[in-house]
Amino acid sequence: MKLSVYSLKKILYEGDAKSINCQTIGGEVTILDKHRPFVSTLKEGVIRILDGENKAHYVNAKSGFVEVMPTNEVRFIVEER
Amino acid sequence: MESLQKTKNRISSAKNINQITKAMELVAATKMRKSQAIALSSRAYAYAALDFLANLSKLEEAVLPPLLQKREIKKTAFVVVASDKGLAGSFNSSVFRTFEKYLVENKIDIFNDNYSFIAFGQKSANYLQRKKVKIANVFAKLGDFTQLSETRQLADFLSNGYLTKQWDRVLVFSMNFRTALRQEVLIRQILPVEFEVLKKTIKEIVPETGKFSELRENNNTSPSPSSTEEGRSRIIDYLVEPSPEIVLKELAPHLIEMQVYHIILEANASEHAARRMAMKNASDNAEKLVGDLTLIYNKSRQAAITREIIEITAGAEVL
Repeated sequence: MKLSVYSLKKILYEGDAKSINCQTIGGEVTILDKHRPFVSTLKEGVIRILDGENKAHYVNAKSGFVEVMPTNEVRFIVEER
Repeated sequence: MESLQKTKNRISSAKNINQITKAMELVAATKMRKSQAIALSSRAYAYAALDFLANLSKLEEAVLPPLLQKREIKKTAFVVVASDKGLAGSFNSSVFRTFEKYLVENKIDIFNDNYSFIAFGQKSANYLQRKKVKIANVFAKLGDFTQLSETRQLADFLSNGYLTKQWDRVLVFSMNFRTALRQEVLIRQILPVEFEVLKKTIKEIVPETGKFSELRENNNTSPSPSSTEEGRSRIIDYLVEPSPEIVLKELAPHLIEMQVYHIILEANASEHAARRMAMKNASDNAEKLVGDLTLIYNKSRQAAITREIIEITAGAEVL
């Protein structure tokens, strides 16, 4: 799936991802390919991104939002810590 | 005619001024580019956040949080955004002029308790103090590139005032960067949040011409999938956790923060652009002055030589 992570200062990640793990208000969530449309609020924590080559990327988030779109695209807007 | 030495001194001081203003012009030009780049780097976030808000507000059961709710407008807060430093041509005075004009047109009595005034930038604080109005808060001495943490303070202050009913509306008077040669003062309402106003602010980040203007084309033609018709109709499928209300409530302060950040960055870029123009004019003037003075200097030098020759020949004839 296509993933983009934006903060007010810069683009933190843009590209393919296999799985994304993040802390939402409701608890820990892992988003895999073809996840159903989903919107949630993040709480302070680390977003772990596994890209196409199984390489892990980490984003430190203070707060933010996640949106999974019907087009198999995932978008994060975060406030960096 | 002035003495030769005096003219010489004046030429050299005009030359010095020319050098200084030229250096300041270059510095301002670099700073302008930099602040433009900073403003543009946050564009992706801004568009994503806008889309996000658009999607959420399409949900039927959404209840607007207090920050997004509109209410009857009785009290208004005015934010006047100016620079910290001078030497920026008409940058500050045009903001103040627009502000004055607005006060007159809307028959606003500045000493009425229904109006609050917030100064952003030292010059703005000085101006409001001169007018002897009650200033609710001053944000000044922020440097050339305003940091996110600094605009956040302003955003928080405005949101808090809105929530505690200190004001029902916030108007911002600030310079908008259209091109490197052209800036204009805009009056923007940032609270209560209006989707259209928000969208316009973000569109205005890209200048009309010059560097970075090529981005203007792209942002109209490549909307994200969710803003197309197909995306809209499928919006009902969204699973919102924990609930649309809570997500919207969390989102609202971020939206205001983002908008304030952009307005301030825009004003920063305009300030540097205005300063660049002012300094360019100053160095052009200095150059012209050097030319004129050199002419005077040469003329008086020639006159002195002629006089001396006349004296010598007259003396020789007497002999």
